[in-house]
Amino acid sequence: MDRLKSLLTAILRDWMMLLGLLLLATVFFMAATAPLFFPQPPDTMMGPPLQWPGQYAGAPLGTDGLGRNILAGLFYGAQISLLVGFASVTVAMVFGILVGAFAGYYGGWIDNLLMRVTELFQTIPQFMLAIVVVAVLGPSIQVIIFSLAVVSWPAIARLVRGEFMVLREKAYVQGCIVVGMSDMRIIFTQILPNAMSGVTVMSTIMIATAILMESALSFLGFGDPNVTTWGTMIGMGKNNLRDAWYIMTIPGIALLLTALALNLVGDGLNDYLNPRLRSQRGQ
Amino acid sequence: MSNPILQVENLQICVRKKPGVLILRGVSFHVNAGETLAIVGESGCGKSMTSLAIMGLLPDAVEKLSGTIRFKGRELPITDNRAMRKVRAAEIGMVFQEPMAALDPLYPVGKQVLEVIEEHEKLPRAMAWARVIDLLTKVDLPNPETLAWSYPHKLSGGQLQRVVIAMALACNPDVLIADEPTTALDVTVQAQIMRLLKRLQRDTGVAIVLITHNLGLVAHTADRVMVMYAGNKAEEAPTRDLFLNPRHPYTRGLLDATPNPERASAQGGVLREIPGTVPSIADPMPGCRFAPRCPNASDLCHARFPDPTYEGAHGYACHHPVTDARV
Amino acid sequence: MKPIRRRFPWAFLAKRVAYGALAMLAIAIINFFLLKLAPGDAAEALAGQAGTADPAYIAQLRAQFGLDQPLLSQLWAFLVRLATLDLGYSYVFNERVSVLIFSRMPATLMLMGAAIVIAVIGGIVFGVTAARYANRWPDRVISFVALLLYGTPPYWIGLMMILIFAVTLGWTPTSGMENVLAFNTGWDRVADIAHHLILPALAQSIFYLAIYIRLVRAGMLEVLSLDFIRVARAKGISERRLSYRHALRNAVLPLVTVVGTNVGNFLGGAVLTETVFSWPGVGRLMFDAMFQRDLNLLLSILVLSSFFVILANLIVDLLYAVINPTVELK
Ligand SMILES: Nc1ncnc2c1ncn2[C@@H]1O[C@H](COP(=O)(O)OP(=O)(O)OP(=O)(O)O)[C@@H](O)[C@H]1O
Ligand code: SF4
Ligand SMILES: [Mg+2]
Repeated sequence: MDRLKSLLTAILRDWMMLLGLLLLATVFFMAATAPLFFPQPPDTMMGPPLQWPGQYAGAPLGTDGLGRNILAGLFYGAQISLLVGFASVTVAMVFGILVGAFAGYYGGWIDNLLMRVTELFQTIPQFMLAIVVVAVLGPSIQVIIFSLAVVSWPAIARLVRGEFMVLREKAYVQGCIVVGMSDMRIIFTQILPNAMSGVTVMSTIMIATAILMESALSFLGFGDPNVTTWGTMIGMGKNNLRDAWYIMTIPGIALLLTALALNLVGDGLNDYLNPRLRSQRGQ
Repeated sequence: MSNPILQVENLQICVRKKPGVLILRGVSFHVNAGETLAIVGESGCGKSMTSLAIMGLLPDAVEKLSGTIRFKGRELPITDNRAMRKVRAAEIGMVFQEPMAALDPLYPVGKQVLEVIEEHEKLPRAMAWARVIDLLTKVDLPNPETLAWSYPHKLSGGQLQRVVIAMALACNPDVLIADEPTTALDVTVQAQIMRLLKRLQRDTGVAIVLITHNLGLVAHTADRVMVMYAGNKAEEAPTRDLFLNPRHPYTRGLLDATPNPERASAQGGVLREIPGTVPSIADPMPGCRFAPRCPNASDLCHARFPDPTYEGAHGYACHHPVTDARV
Repeated sequence: MKPIRRRFPWAFLAKRVAYGALAMLAIAIINFFLLKLAPGDAAEALAGQAGTADPAYIAQLRAQFGLDQPLLSQLWAFLVRLATLDLGYSYVFNERVSVLIFSRMPATLMLMGAAIVIAVIGGIVFGVTAARYANRWPDRVISFVALLLYGTPPYWIGLMMILIFAVTLGWTPTSGMENVLAFNTGWDRVADIAHHLILPALAQSIFYLAIYIRLVRAGMLEVLSLDFIRVARAKGISERRLSYRHALRNAVLPLVTVVGTNVGNFLGGAVLTETVFSWPGVGRLMFDAMFQRDLNLLLSILVLSSFFVILANLIVDLLYAVINPTVELK
């Protein structure tokens, strides 16, 4: 309870984080209320095509080249962005934590092997690997989530490994070893909770990266063809770059603000969780 | 008899924008040409701040509130970085505590000595370099020609401190401030460095301000001693006088905590703490800041700050000075 | 006065080359199994997705992949072909895959090089400025813009740049690498290509610019608080010299490593930038390969790009050792 209270005061003091949380809440709100405000699927024609924002009452942010409501697209796109971002990072976290924890806890050849594999995955150009995974397994939301997890886990694994290497030398962990606690219990109940703050911060920022990568895949036309995402909207809008630039500009801004929100929250969490390493950007 | 080359008068330093949080609470002292003045006192009493103030190198978080610092009779413009650059190293050199971190890891040590000469004197490169080699020789470094091209990480702590000393003396300053120059080194190296400093002082006539915790070192090397406590000057006296006849209870405590200052350096020479702790710099005590820990403290001590008293060259700030001499 | 020369780190080089070779082998194996993951057998996947259901082609692919052989010998065959750079033939592009990729390399390297230069120089200039004015308004503006850029989709920035600088202002061409119809030669051609390069290089650099600004700023602030900076101040040297000769050089060192680790990301980003700007490089080729479902070409690009990253990392490590005397290469 006290922790919660101190987190709340920290948030209120840090207006940048507050801004981030507000933006993020807006995106969640959009995702949650999409079917409420827009009962029709976002890819249905809702009015005349190429209506500029404010021009046509049925679509406050205008319509695209096929007469689809851009605002509806934004609401439904929020669902996909959040789903893909959170799901892929969750999968990456589970895998990255496992790899990092074992490498850092056991050290020696296990560490050596696991870290070499991790480095290998960091060597392969991330976005290209994601494309190839989608190419091999076919474009669907599940595959995209998987492909983004495949390219995201190494960073988490390395972070967790570093934390584990430091924490396992701590007296309390050595104490657990001496009293004969099992390795698994030590790893998951003693060390992991203390390693989570760094992971939380990194994951928050990685969700932003994952959302941007999903949008890039969709933009190129390699996304799930059955859903409307911000990336697809930008990709479509590209064709009307000259006469109706708002079509690609609006979802781009939505992406930017979402990524910004996650980065602000990540920075804020970092300041809160590691006060020692407080970034120099404020008092 | 005395010929003060550096005079500090009523120096007050506070945390920036907080005139109530005083780090130095009006410190006055002087350094005579060619002498060694030791400054001692518990950690946090303001020794380093005093020396940084003289160099015009106070950290951004603090500022001078009042007081003057005079060098050779004229006031040092310590807040004017541009003007102070001409003073630093050229007139007042400084040696810091941590030789391992004192040099830029990316340049050969000789180049870093050269930099000082180039900054302050218009000399042809070759002559300046010859001077670098000469300096490295003077601080007893082996193979100066080769060593000049070594990077800092290749040198030991003692060797690095010699380079730093060479740097500080490169332009023949009149004063050398040495802020705990040997604390980070091991005992045998400490003695070597102190012998080197004394020898260089004999050769060049530089005055040394030696900041240290090591009373053994003080007994051996200093002409006069200033004892500081919590931002104040507690006592000031010729070395022998201070050791035999300390008047301030804090000085007395310091000396008693070191059983035999003559052998202190052999024992590691670190002061054992007097019971209790130093008051916070933010604590607005009206009286003597040593009162909570002082065996002689009276109500007067808690109420009013003691004015300094002088008996010849021996000065102290205390309402109830110690009277019995140490044997 | 003559500096002592350091010996060339042959042992380190040999070790790194051996490690690089191992990594390449591992990447090749990963690729092999990626292909195995595809539904159906590899030949069907490759042919079917390449859009040519020609049975002769499938048979040829089967033979080429030795699909009747056990898994291990298939893998061996795959590796042997890779080692001899026999990456097969692309029916979509009517060209040998290796030729296709290598002919597209220069354009990508040029774009990548320009983007890295922009990101590094911009990162240093703005990062140093932000650090010098830490927590004052120039720092706040720079830091906030960097934060914004960090979250901006790079392809979208590219489109916006086309909209503003090419379409609206007409300062630059909208796409392509050169005006082929102008038949420029010599310096005219160089100037033309440079003109075409500006926008894509900027677009590609934006994200890294944001990272490098933050990195240089933090590095400068950290270095400026180190002891040796105070010692240097005590030597009386100027703030300028202090910033550029001592602080900057120390602060920028980590940047070299980071740029090295970003090489792969630059290559991945090239897929987007080159698609947006119709830049005829490997990234654009990858987009086309994906679009045409040419799986073999796609995998070949991935493998060769990974090889390139390994090579780049090796070079960066050597470079780092050259500019940082405290590194002992072992
Ligand atoms: N940047 C700063 N901001 C605020 N206060 C500071 C700062 N730096 C030092 N101080 C305060 O100034 C006081 C004097 O510090 P100083 O470094 O001069 O002590 P010292 O006598 O040299 O101690 P030591 O023996 O540990 O070197 C300390 O109490 C410290 O709390
Ligand atoms: S003034 Fe009083 S409290 Fe302070 S040192 Fe002297 S006797 Fe002790
Ligand atoms: Mg100090």
